[in-house]
This record gives sequence, structure tokens and C-alpha cells, in this order.
Amino acid sequence: MTESLVAIVTALGDDELILGHRHAEWTGFAPHIEEDVAFSSIAQDEIGHAAAYYSIASSLTGLTRDALALGRSVDEYRHAVLCERPNSDWAYTITRQWLYDRADCLRLTALEESAHDDLRHLATKIRREERYHLIHADMWMERIAHGPIEGRTKLTQAATTVLSATAGLFEPFEREADAIGEGWLTVPSEELGRRFVGEAVDALDGLGLPAEVTPDGWRAEFVASSSGDLIATDRSGSGEASAPAGLGGRSGRHSPDFSALWADMTRTYRADPEATW
Amino acid sequence: MDVYEVFRRSGHKQPFEHCGTVTAPDSEMAMLMAKECYLRRKEGQYLWVTRRSEIHSWSDEALLEPAADKSYRFAHAYRDVVQKRELARRRAGQLG
Amino acid sequence: MTYEQRLTDFRHYVGAGGKVEATDWMPDDYRAGVLKFIEMHANSEMMGAIPEREQIPHAPSLQRKMSLTAKVQDEVGHSQLLYRIAEDLGKSRETMYLDLVNGRSKFHNVFHYPTRHWGDVAVIGWLIDGAALVTQAALLESSYAPYTRVLKRICAEEQLHLRHGEDITLELASGTDNQRAMFQDALDRWWLPIVHFFGPRSNVDKDLLLRWKVKTRTNEDLRAEFLDRYVPKVLELGFSFPAPVPFESGGHWVVREDDIDWAPLDAIKRNQGPETARRLELRRSTYEQHAWVRQALAEPATQVA
Repeated sequence: MTESLVAIVTALGDDELILGHRHAEWTGFAPHIEEDVAFSSIAQDEIGHAAAYYSIASSLTGLTRDALALGRSVDEYRHAVLCERPNSDWAYTITRQWLYDRADCLRLTALEESAHDDLRHLATKIRREERYHLIHADMWMERIAHGPIEGRTKLTQAATTVLSATAGLFEPFEREADAIGEGWLTVPSEELGRRFVGEAVDALDGLGLPAEVTPDGWRAEFVASSSGDLIATDRSGSGEASAPAGLGGRSGRHSPDFSALWADMTRTYRADPEATW
Repeated sequence: MDVYEVFRRSGHKQPFEHCGTVTAPDSEMAMLMAKECYLRRKEGQYLWVTRRSEIHSWSDEALLEPAADKSYRFAHAYRDVVQKRELARRRAGQLG
Repeated sequence: MTYEQRLTDFRHYVGAGGKVEATDWMPDDYRAGVLKFIEMHANSEMMGAIPEREQIPHAPSLQRKMSLTAKVQDEVGHSQLLYRIAEDLGKSRETMYLDLVNGRSKFHNVFHYPTRHWGDVAVIGWLIDGAALVTQAALLESSYAPYTRVLKRICAEEQLHLRHGEDITLELASGTDNQRAMFQDALDRWWLPIVHFFGPRSNVDKDLLLRWKVKTRTNEDLRAEFLDRYVPKVLELGFSFPAPVPFESGGHWVVREDDIDWAPLDAIKRNQGPETARRLELRRSTYEQHAWVRQALAEPATQVA
């Protein structure tokens, strides 16, 4: 009965933890000192959200939050592959944050209707913080999209890569049918994904980055705007663009990026699993 | 006429603090009026004024509130230090 | 008034405990000295973010992951506060940053060393922050007022960092053999750099910053306070010190000056510490890669119709 609920909160927690882990890598190295401080809070927020999701899982499974966060093997993590990708550059990071937080807002809005009290309340709390994150990401996206050509070029490349990979955020959770039956989830992931693509394309359009998506809804191509110079022709250095769209995370299939991240992230915990830290 | 926000600093160790507002036609007049309205009893040594329209604020102050637990940013997160010290001392005492 | 008269007045003013604001007249030597001092402090916070940041990915619990991130965030925040007030003395933040990454300015010795594991987080958080707090608290009475105002906030946050560091230490100290070994290993590597941190004996006659009351206490005085305060705390947790081994003398914990090997500090003063080149290069290349972001920030946002 609760297995499907555990599956959902674990996957949601994993998304937040792994993205928070990546975001935290900017602490000390963001492109502007004030922004360094600002972005670090966002990283901490995401890790805090993960902790809150794991708390629900913990109450259902009896495992501690930390055992859930750091005590599993690589293929037991259920986050979307998008979250584990290296930060690459600031354009990639901001675009990922922007699209992730948009996806998250949609997902949280749906979770605010969940039949599970704790999950419903948590969704309301988190959504407020994600709204703030979105304000942050919106400002950066607008500034870069309307700024000099080099930034716009990087942004377009990042948007191509990231938008395709957001598909991984809307893969069905394990036992999703059960979760819908129980009322833990009210909207199927696939349906949320469809709404997301529509919103994302509109938002990109609003930034002067008109995207054309393929019929399956995920493969994004950006078309030149009337200003003509929107997209520089240089497409080098973006090898990821042709990589698979980042599916498989919800069933524990991750990229080599995650193996490296996992080894780092669980290193101290694994050194002495009996210890308290 | 514009509304000007007035800030004063009472000493070298203090930061500037907001102390009120004046209505004035320009910043020079605002400085003069602020001096008499807010500093005439030596409440401070330094004075700033700025046009209210130049002040920006969050339209939704709820967004300033963190949602997730941030207790680790405050000293009370570590208030059990005395017991922990005792535990650690005892552990050290058990060593050969 | 001639420059000489102004200088004499300034000396008397500062000598009598007077405080100086950025907009006040000040002798060129004073301005340059204060700027260099605050710039080095700012650089140290900026470079000091790196060693601990290296361990954020390894944090052993969610709470530690968040609190260590928050701590490094505070360090970056301190560098922001300090660079801002340094800037008001006439050198742009960009120039300071470029001087730092190109090795033309300095940062504290302890940030030239590598970190190896979670034990380092405990030693840095407790003992290095403890050392920093001793030196920074001594600066709260500095003659340069903007610095003291910023330090008030920095010291409050450092106080929290100290709690955070002690908490991590106590968890290791009361933990498994493996955890205790982590702390001891880190202490063995960090002890000499910590003793160096306060610097060699001050030359009171020559130290302009002491004379201008920018600094108010000598290096050896600060080191003595640190040793008295922290050595017994480490010992009662059952850990031991490498050279220079502290010992009790006349009711104080001291180290023999002859036992201090100054060679590593001398190398660091030439920017030749174990991690100096790598970390500066990391900062330099990141700075270069972000040129386009600075460009985007510099231009007013244009509205696309």
C-alpha cells in the first residue's frame, strides 16, 4: 500500500538531493560574489527539500533520512538523469535551474491535491520556495537572453540540451498506477510532462528563444528569431546535445556522471556506516 | 515635492539606521530638513537621504521566509555542546 | 593646513582612539596600509572558501551537507563585505581579484594547504576558525571604522562557525576509532600551519599598522591567547600534538619558538605553498570562463519586443 508512496517521495527527494549537490558545487565559484551567496542558498534549499521528502519516506520505512540519502547503491537512486549532469557552465546551470523549477512548480501544484496529508503540506511549503527560485532563474535567463551574443549562444545551446533532458523528470514513477489509485498522485507524470513542454516552449518564446519541438514533444530545436543574430553558428563544445535524452533515472539507470558523483557523495558515510557524524 | 527616506548613524560602531522621512523639493533641501528634523539633538553624526522612489523592496515579503529548515544557520542548533563535550571526554578517558 | 600639520593631527586623533571613516582625510600610508590589510583579509576569505568547499561533496549527512555549504557561503559573504569596504579605499574589486589570481597579492597561509577528508573539516572548523576568531576579535577596536563594523558581523558568524566546527570535532572525538583517527591525522597535518597562522613575532617599532592602531595586538600575543584557549581543549579529548609540541609553563600553554619550523611559511609568502598554484589557477581559469557573464551583468538589460 505504502510502497508506491515511498517510491514517489524517494524519487522526488533524489531529484532535489542530486540537483542540490550539483548546485552546491558552485559555492565559492559562481561568476559574481553576491550571486555566489545567493545561489548557495538555492543549493541549500534543494538539499533541505530532499531532507523533507526523505523524512516522509523515513516514517514509512523506518530507515533514517541519511541512510536514504547516502546509504543506497548507485542503481537504487531514482532521480532524473538531468539532475546528475555536471554543471558545465553558468548558462547550463541557470537553464537547468530554470527548467527544473518550472517542472517542479507544476509537479508541486499537482501534489497539493495529494490524498497524503504530509506530502500535500510539504508540497505547499516547498512550492513557495520554488517560486523564489524561479524568480532568481527568470532574472538570469532574461539578462542573458537579452544580453551580448556570446551569452545568448551559450543559453541556446544549454536550452537545447536541457529541454530534451527534462523528459527524464516526467518518466512515470515506479508503481505510479498504484499511487494514482490511492490518490497519492492526482495527475499522471506523462500528462504533467505534456503541460510542461507547452509551458516551457511558451516561456522560451517569451525570451526570444523560439523552440520547435518534435512530435514526441521532447527533442528541441531552436530557430533563429527575426533579429537574425540570435543564434551563433558555432555549435562546437556541446557534445551533450546529441546524447540520449536522459531517460532511465526513475528506474535507476544512470549515467557515468552519477557513478562519480555517488562515489564522492557517499565517501565519508560509507567509510564508517556505523558511525554518527 | 518628493518623499525622502532619512538614515542616520549615531557613532562609528553603528550602521546607518532608518529614522524617518521628510517631504522636500530636492535632495539638498531634504538634507537640510532632515538635519533639523532628525539630528537636532545630536542623535547622530552622519546623515543620508534618498528619494523614496529609489528604494526597492520585495512585493511579496513571504518570499523572504525560508520554507525548509535552516536551523543550522543559528547558534541554537549547537546548544547541546556541553553534553557532547562530556561524551567526548568520557570516550577519551576510555582509551588506553 | 600643510600635509605635515594634517599628519600630526591625524596621529593624535588615532592615538587618542579616534576612528577613521572612508570619507575622512587620511595619510597616504594609512590608506595604503589599511587597504592592503583588508584586501588580504578579503582574499583569505575568498581562498578560504576553497579547502572546505572541497569537502562539501563528502559531507556524511544531510544536515552536515547543508551546514557546511552554509558555512562556505558565509566565507564568500565575508569576502563580499570586505572587498566592498576595500573598494571604497580606492582599488576596484576587479583589480583586487586579478591581483589575487595572478599571484600579486597574498592570502593567509592556512589556505595554501590541501584537505584530505572529513577530519580536515573538523580541524579547520574548530581550530582554524578559533585562531581566526582570536585575531579578528582583536581587530574590533581597529581605528578604521568601516572595517570594525564589518568585523562585528564577521565575528558573530565566525562564532557560529566555531560551534559548528567544535560540534563536528566532538562527534569524531566521541565516535569510532576510525573517526578519532581522522581527527588526529588532520591535526598532525594542520598544527604547524595553525601555529604559523599568527605570523612571526611582530616588530613593534616597524609595524605601521600597529602604530596607526589598525591592528591593536602583536602576533605573539594573539598566538599565546589561542594556545591557552585551545590546547587544553584538544588534550582533554585525548588527542596529541606534533611539533611544535605545546607545554605548560607558568600557568600558560606555550610553544618554544625554536621548535617552530618557519620554512613552510616562508615558501607560502612567496606563493609557493602546496596548493597555491593549483587553487590560484582554478580561480583564474574560472574568472576567465566567466568573462561573458560579467559582460551580461555589465550591460543594461535590453527589452526584446
